[in-house]
Amino acid sequence: MKSAKQGSRKAHEYPEPPAIVTPAQAEVPLAREERLENGARLYTVDIPGQEVIRVSFVFRAGTSLQEIPFSASATVNLLSEGSQRWSAAQIAEQLDFYGSYYEVSTDRDYAVVTFCSLSRFFAETMEVAEQILLYPLFPEQEVRTYCTKQKQRLAVERTKVAFQARELFSRTLFGAEHPYGISSPAERYDDLERDMLVRFYDRCYTGRNCFVAVSGRVDDQVRERIAALAGRLPAGEVLRPNVGEAISARYAFAGHPGAVQSAIRIGIRLFPRTHPDFIPMQVVTTVLGGYFGSRLVQNLREERGYTYGVFAGMVNLEYEGYMAIATEVAAAATEDAVDQIFREMERLRNELVGEQELRMVKNIVAGEVMRILDGPFGIADVTIENVQNGTDNGYIDRFLRRVREVSPEEVLAMARKYLIPEHFTTVVVGEADPALSGKVWGSVK
Amino acid sequence: MITYEKHTLANGLTVLAHRDRFSRMAAINMLYKVGARNENPARTGFAHLFEHLMFRGTERVPDFDVPVQMACGENNAFTNNDYTDYYMTLPVDNVEVALWLESDRMTGLRIDRENLEAEKKVVIEEYKQRYLNQPYGDLWLLLRALAFGVHPYRWATIGLDPEHIAGATLGEVREFYRRFYNPSNAILSVAADLEPEQVFLLAEKWFGNLTGESCPKSEIPQEPVQSAPRRQEVVREVPATVVTIAFKMCGRTGDDFYSLDMISDLLAGGSSSRLYRRLVQEGRLFASANAYVTGDVDPGLFVVTGHLLPGVSPQEAEEALWEQLNELKKQPVEESELEKVKNKFEANTTFGEINVMNKAMNLGFYEMLGNLPLINREVGLYRSLTPERLMRCAEEVFVSEHSATLVYRAAGDGAAENIYKEMEI
Repeated sequence: MKSAKQGSRKAHEYPEPPAIVTPAQAEVPLAREERLENGARLYTVDIPGQEVIRVSFVFRAGTSLQEIPFSASATVNLLSEGSQRWSAAQIAEQLDFYGSYYEVSTDRDYAVVTFCSLSRFFAETMEVAEQILLYPLFPEQEVRTYCTKQKQRLAVERTKVAFQARELFSRTLFGAEHPYGISSPAERYDDLERDMLVRFYDRCYTGRNCFVAVSGRVDDQVRERIAALAGRLPAGEVLRPNVGEAISARYAFAGHPGAVQSAIRIGIRLFPRTHPDFIPMQVVTTVLGGYFGSRLVQNLREERGYTYGVFAGMVNLEYEGYMAIATEVAAAATEDAVDQIFREMERLRNELVGEQELRMVKNIVAGEVMRILDGPFGIADVTIENVQNGTDNGYIDRFLRRVREVSPEEVLAMARKYLIPEHFTTVVVGEADPALSGKVWGSVK
Repeated sequence: MITYEKHTLANGLTVLAHRDRFSRMAAINMLYKVGARNENPARTGFAHLFEHLMFRGTERVPDFDVPVQMACGENNAFTNNDYTDYYMTLPVDNVEVALWLESDRMTGLRIDRENLEAEKKVVIEEYKQRYLNQPYGDLWLLLRALAFGVHPYRWATIGLDPEHIAGATLGEVREFYRRFYNPSNAILSVAADLEPEQVFLLAEKWFGNLTGESCPKSEIPQEPVQSAPRRQEVVREVPATVVTIAFKMCGRTGDDFYSLDMISDLLAGGSSSRLYRRLVQEGRLFASANAYVTGDVDPGLFVVTGHLLPGVSPQEAEEALWEQLNELKKQPVEESELEKVKNKFEANTTFGEINVMNKAMNLGFYEMLGNLPLINREVGLYRSLTPERLMRCAEEVFVSEHSATLVYRAAGDGAAENIYKEMEI
């Protein structure tokens, strides 16, 4: 502050604060849908203004479909490590030569293979894509190198409390044997072999398990080129993971000697995005911890200085959905931080959320959507998510309308219906177990 | 290509405007020309602590985030060794909300003992979370201290010690605000579907009547030329040993910056790069390897580094890295390899120019460098580089007398096997 006097002297010269506008509906271009003979679906969105194209091939090939640990991620990661025509080095060389961006990811349900290229190098990029997607060889040598590296990477990740807590939380929330809960020892990388990846590829990378989302400068030629590629996948069978009943435990702790911070995960299994209460619960979760300035941030960061950050969100899986709160806090503050998180949930069950706070949360949610939709890359992401949920890009508009309808009374009703402390799972990874004193979180008062 | 117009207000605020006809969002970037290099060596981490305080509210706006979020906006900030950057995106209809808030906190910040103390605790937790409670968290802190003896780049933006943050006083905070948070020390850039003229009018409306003294900055002590190799070895509870070699190189606007940046791309830009192909995939010495330039305003570092695979000795790893560097001095790069990194640079530049926030941020950055036109010249500069030029730069820079080598050794050299079992306790 420069000085109070200076501040007040300037006050009268200062313009009136501007009025804040809530933008009308977000405009999302609908994707054009095509079904190919082999069952693959193609979704294209043409966006003017950029000479770039993004193509994502989405396969039902996530970790929940694997029978052997690490085979889903190994398969997608090794797709580009050698094909019938080209070696791994040649594929990498080609992609880099055209400046094309290549990325793969896996989650529990899907594997996604993405290419971004300048329009002028699109044809060349698709030639490489063809080798990667249709003719991968998974050479033994590359499999071994990959496994050695990943084993080490996993070991590094598992020295971080946040990563440990994420794995422990999944195991505790779904059960250690459940496809969404399982985690495996790093040594299992040693047993992973080429045949296992070939089998996984043959089973999952098929037309019926695939859709493609394309955005950017998409003309007929581009669309035909992609359809020609995706159309050559074998049709295959539609896959469903073997998702048994999830079993949630109430509490788990893992020791991490010397940790100056504890990682905390608290959550509850609810429902996937298709459930009618998903959207109002997303609003409830946002109020609690979905933005910077949320109740949990105010409490744990701004008031108490326990943490650098805390977040709450709804996680959507194909067959499940859950709400989770995640934070890393000073070791000494662990017990009180868990107390405070439950206290904030209790407030949501007992008090109506203020009109002003709720309006802000709705605008935050709308702003997030607008930001994602700004530009061709984000529109592809939105399209992918909508297709995965069995809907289309018109969902965004319906979603925003539904968010606007949520009232303080509905927030209260939702909190009372779902934020039931004795149904929650709490996980802590850190130096000392905060429950050693005999404390049980979520007990009925 | 980013089109822009520039205008300077009477109080010294630089305003840059780029029109993006396709976006419905506006990006507003406010850059202050102050970073960790401007800090008192006894109060390191201060610029970053202050950045946090900029969100603590003013007399008129007690909670900075409330109006941003009401306006469907999102904002954040970062501090590095050279500058501090505050950025915001919101629907273009709310662009004035951003200008209002930035002008308000440029002069009206409310800092009292209570919120200073609370913020210190947050920053100390950030220190722990990012630098102490992470495997390899202190690697970069150690490397800086090894490579620089005099220049403030010897400390990271988080600071030398959490005690420096804990000791910050209200008086120091106010003095820092007065000295560095002035219109004449700031650059405002806006990327949106708005005519530049309109942006300048709005800037005049919201910032025109702010006054601020322009304070001469203290001289930054420059690093003397290094004359002997430096080396440090530490042992930590980590799963794999990391070997890092850092060389002194020119600053961001130096003549050889692009050559060295391109060399780092040859070595580590993508999975066809030399280090990845030769040392990770074929040589099986490293689990991962990287090379990069720090891109600092003052002379900075060229860094090569890698995580060793089990059974590989640090000496073997170090020699392998040197072999790659020495080859660059002796063998001209082939045209096709050069073409590849040039294409990649161009594509990455194009991908980076899609988003309004990147564009506004880049405008601020190049203006801060003092060479705004550079923003559209870099692809051309890259294209003009020759194999001979790269060879000459490699010869000058990759010299052991100018190097700092950090061996970050895993206790028991790769006892990774036990880690999973420990966590099952």
